[in-house]
Amino acid sequence: MSPSRPEALVPGHGQAAPTDGPRLLWSPDGSTLLVSGHWTTLTLADLAGMPPRPDLGSARGGEIAVPQPEAGSSPPLAEPLNLDGRGLLALDTAGALQLHRLTEAFALQGLAVQLSGFTAPHLSLLALVRERLAAAAEDLAALRPNPAPPVLARVGQGAWERMGEGLGLLSFLGETALAFPRVLAHPGRLRWRQILQVVELDGWRALPVLGMLSFLVGVVIAYQSGVQLRLYGGNLYVVDLVTLTVLRELGPLMTAIVVAGRSGSAYAAQIGTMMVTDEIDALRSIGVSPLELLVLPKALGLILALPLLTVFANLAAVMGGMVMSALMLDLVPETFIRRIPEAVTLNTLMTGLAKAPVFAAAIAIVGCFQGFLVRDGADSVGRHTTTAVVQAIVWVIVIDAAFSVVYSKLGI
Amino acid sequence: MVAASMPTSPAVPPSPTLTGWSTPLPNATAPTLASAVLPVAMRGIRTCFGAACIHEGLDLDVRQGEILALVGASGCGKSVLLREMILLAHPTAGRVLLFGEEAQDLDETGANRLRQRIGITFQHGALFNSLTVAENIAVPLKEQTRLPARQIRDIAMLKLLLVGLPPDAASKYPSQLSGGMHKRAALARALAMDPDLLVLDEPGTGLDPVGAGALDDLVLGLHQSLGVTVVMSTHDLDSLWRVADRVAFLGRRRILATGTPAELSVREEPELVAFFQGPRGAARSRAWNRG
Repeated sequence: MSPSRPEALVPGHGQAAPTDGPRLLWSPDGSTLLVSGHWTTLTLADLAGMPPRPDLGSARGGEIAVPQPEAGSSPPLAEPLNLDGRGLLALDTAGALQLHRLTEAFALQGLAVQLSGFTAPHLSLLALVRERLAAAAEDLAALRPNPAPPVLARVGQGAWERMGEGLGLLSFLGETALAFPRVLAHPGRLRWRQILQVVELDGWRALPVLGMLSFLVGVVIAYQSGVQLRLYGGNLYVVDLVTLTVLRELGPLMTAIVVAGRSGSAYAAQIGTMMVTDEIDALRSIGVSPLELLVLPKALGLILALPLLTVFANLAAVMGGMVMSALMLDLVPETFIRRIPEAVTLNTLMTGLAKAPVFAAAIAIVGCFQGFLVRDGADSVGRHTTTAVVQAIVWVIVIDAAFSVVYSKLGI
Repeated sequence: MVAASMPTSPAVPPSPTLTGWSTPLPNATAPTLASAVLPVAMRGIRTCFGAACIHEGLDLDVRQGEILALVGASGCGKSVLLREMILLAHPTAGRVLLFGEEAQDLDETGANRLRQRIGITFQHGALFNSLTVAENIAVPLKEQTRLPARQIRDIAMLKLLLVGLPPDAASKYPSQLSGGMHKRAALARALAMDPDLLVLDEPGTGLDPVGAGALDDLVLGLHQSLGVTVVMSTHDLDSLWRVADRVAFLGRRRILATGTPAELSVREEPELVAFFQGPRGAARSRAWNRG
């Protein structure tokens, strides 16, 4: 330990560094490393890039090993090396850790380090860090970062998880299907309040947005077909095109997609949040089946509401087509309406409406199922809500395609 | 953070340049101001929600380096007061001074600068569920400092060890932790920036007596080794007697009394009598006064 501070290292009075950041300075003879400034979490980054580098502990081979005394003077490092803390203004655990790593790096070079000039609180903080790391040394050494699994393993795991989820959805569908007759056999157990609430929230409140969207879709179809039909002078046939496409396909499909976005997400988020807060477990513990309380009312309510919404969407879309026809093709509404019975029959309407309950069941079941998949945490709720919407829309379109196949086979 | 008290350095000429990268050393003799300033001073605090006021003319000081326990009946506004202390809520009227700075005058930058000096644990832990424990601890370090990732991991692991968690807890998710470990992990995150002030909202809630006792020991140990000022709200009489240097009793919408647990346990106010001399309080008071 040097008896007096090396003269060259004493701070000049009145010329404090602008930041008082952490500094390491070598004495000219290379025997003493002076530690000065604020060694705290917030200032520690200022040390980076200055010799010696903060990554000293690991960098033996490549970057920088241990700071050498300046090139001009080549006295060998005195043993032991003296770490002088007299210029240290503040030290916290992060700073103490940095100093500890520094002494470790010197130790790797075979240099013993002596501390001098540190205040008692600083010494005890350094000792605390040293002790804690030493006490856990074995456990720390045993820690190995999990190597990233190979691609094949990840593909396999992903496939396995998908399959598990698919089977889960299937068994959830089965459970719900089994619960239906059970509840229908005891209509008193049916939760009418909840069902009506679903009809209101997911049906009635969806009317404005659904009406507007459908109206615009009607306008678009009338415009696109009108452009073509005008060339052939077949203006009147715009009625056939609009009503047929809307009643058979677009009305039910648009409605289902809007509802999947509005309600499928809401179901997943509601049930998911209840999963996070253990409310689902609470229900089970009281002897209430979450399936009966949460899933069945939603499914039944939506099965009631979606056909009604579809009729409304059909009306709005035909209205849109009618308005566009009047504006573009000079087809007065009276003519338009009179043409409708010749273009479509009740059967056309029913083939479209028949899909709605199936769409409704798919949306409700996928939404609720994703809700039940939520585990611990807000981001899980978010992810499953997104999945619920995407899967519900996918299922709606797949089911729609299946209906088309069946209808064509049946010749409807 | 431990501030150094330096001996006066001898008058010597300014240092010649060593190697070219040498910067002038800071003046080590400058007194550290932090010790002279109260970490928290609240004056004339009034907090109202609509017509209902829960604080009215409330004054509270937190002294440098102490452990202050905030007690009072449920719903008397302890948590709200703590939130006002850490700039998460603002009183309807009154002044909050943090480290001598007026909270009202602070812009967002200033508030963030003060927040870096305050570590907080919330009643329910509030660890980020989607992050591992180590990542949770690293969040403040990543956001507030420019330290390299390797060093941040190193610091996070040290904090984990400081709160007595095993190293393999680092890669666990909060949902995989027991109640006690959860509290410790939250404490480690609060300590991430080496705060000057640690605010703990009901730290022992939901723990068994052994676990709560161990947590008390931990708070005491951290307080001694890191010199951090601690403010904690608590219901736990054991923890109150064991940990607190000073107790502030919140009642009648203000700080009804402050003092050591022993002082408050013999006060005459009915609220204090009920708290300290009630069926649960009396046994504790006797035990601690005897011991």
